Amino acid sequence: MDKLQQNNVFIALIVFILTYTAIISEKINRTVIALFGAVLMIIFQVMPQTHAFGVIDFNTIGLLIGMMIIVIILRKTGIFQYIAIRTAKISKGDPWKIFLLFSIVTAISSALLDNVTTILLIAPVTLVITDTLKLNPFPFLFAEIISANIGGTATLIGDPPNIMIGGATNLGFMDFLINLAPVAIVIFVITLFIMKFMFRKEFKVTEENKKKVLDFDEHKTIQDKKLLIQSGIVLGITILGFILHQAVHLESATVALFGAVLLLLVSKADPDEILMEIEWSTIFFFVGLFILVGALEEVGIIKTLAEKLIDLTKGNMMITSMLILWFSAVASAFVDNIPFVATMIPLIQNMQSISGMDVTPLWWSLALGACLGGNGTIVGASANVIAAGMLEKRGIKIGFVKYLKLAFPLMIVSIVISTIYLMLFYV
Amino acid sequence: MNYLNVEASQQEMKLIQMGAKVEQINSKMCYIKFVIGGIPVEYVYNLNKKNQYFLERIKPYPLAIRSYEKVEDIVNVIEVDIRQFKNLVKSKNVRSFVDITKEFIGIIKRFEDLMLYYNVPADEVGVIMSKISEINQEITKTKETASRVFFDKEPENLK
Repeated sequence: MDKLQQNNVFIALIVFILTYTAIISEKINRTVIALFGAVLMIIFQVMPQTHAFGVIDFNTIGLLIGMMIIVIILRKTGIFQYIAIRTAKISKGDPWKIFLLFSIVTAISSALLDNVTTILLIAPVTLVITDTLKLNPFPFLFAEIISANIGGTATLIGDPPNIMIGGATNLGFMDFLINLAPVAIVIFVITLFIMKFMFRKEFKVTEENKKKVLDFDEHKTIQDKKLLIQSGIVLGITILGFILHQAVHLESATVALFGAVLLLLVSKADPDEILMEIEWSTIFFFVGLFILVGALEEVGIIKTLAEKLIDLTKGNMMITSMLILWFSAVASAFVDNIPFVATMIPLIQNMQSISGMDVTPLWWSLALGACLGGNGTIVGASANVIAAGMLEKRGIKIGFVKYLKLAFPLMIVSIVISTIYLMLFYV
Repeated sequence: MNYLNVEASQQEMKLIQMGAKVEQINSKMCYIKFVIGGIPVEYVYNLNKKNQYFLERIKPYPLAIRSYEKVEDIVNVIEVDIRQFKNLVKSKNVRSFVDITKEFIGIIKRFEDLMLYYNVPADEVGVIMSKISEINQEITKTKETASRVFFDKEPENLK
């Protein structure tokens, strides 16, 4: 390795470590620091600008933007409030049934939308319902966070780690559904039973307050019936597009963006208003991450790590798979899973090119570990942080340790189930 | 932004259940602060794409001015308002003006409480109306005898 290459390795490593440390510390806005690190990689000539832009996974970016637009428009119809109120009324105000049904609604929604969006949609309604029932909202939001992370594991579009894995591989919507949905359903059911036991003393409501929930009128929530019909049709077309996208040789981003622009067209929504509500900070965070990790790949660090991992595991698929599953789970519990997965993807790709082995089981290990690991602590996933923030605004402070005592065992249970699943069917 | 969306969703849900039609509009809220002769004069206005511009003075006393169709009108209104206040602070009555206005606003709020919380007999309402007429007549009488000091525009409510 000549001196220039050595310098580039050194610079890339320093910038990467400092940037990731800053992201994990949460003392600086993560988008700003990710972009800063990315720009430094270009300025210090670790990689040229054209190459930096070339490593951005625009499939991930396009999929995120497309789905965000669809959800922003869909939210205006009031359909999510309708579903939540209808669910609460079906439960007849019974808190355990609300807990169960809201968890199911959250898990299913999270399989189709990303976790943060799902929480942002379900949490406000949950807070109004628990206010009405005079219940502590914490068990309900806790169950919704857990359900969102589990539900998001089941599909390509349910969680950013899966979106990133899908973008980097040939794995499509149906691949994720067939391989991950079954274990996600099993984990969800078992987790629900455990949570019911955990919160069994929390669900005491007076009959008077139950009746107040029955007084809610879900029909009032539908603000725009025409838009609802248009959105429903387009969402249906989009989901169908995801199911068929591999068969028709279209990338998932194309499907999502098609759905988004089709909905913008038919709904005549003001594009400025809609585009303003896109989480651009999340999008640019991804852009920064892709460049940072691309720089590590450029200087050969990822390839070196991949070689070391193959040496460590002697190329044994089972050991490698378990190592990735458990390491991803524990890492994702304590640090943001998105930068973690962004780093792991080229590592696994390098392992494939070095060893020639079929690394598909490793993708499932990574997806399961990174998605489910996010349940482990309050900082494990963005959805957790957002829900904790909502509770704090209402004067309910959830400490790191209190949350850890409840959530970490649940996460371990889910990873044990995933371990058994992977060993039975893949390794 | 996430927090705002969550709060807005909760409020919207509660208001819709009360029978309201709720429209959330993305807009810019602007706070304008002046200090004129030691008196804070502050405004808030809202700009949005629905061609609704709401301007309200919040200090030295709250006063809803009105809604406007053109954003340029907001600056003109504030400009005239500030010139009037600059004129006013030269007067010996400025403190009395602020105090009396605050009293009027307090009276409106007390009257509102009276009507909303109590069953007020019609003759008592009549008494209150007659007192208001007296004050109106006093204002008109004072206008006839006082000398005018501001000519940049005509008064909107005192013809």
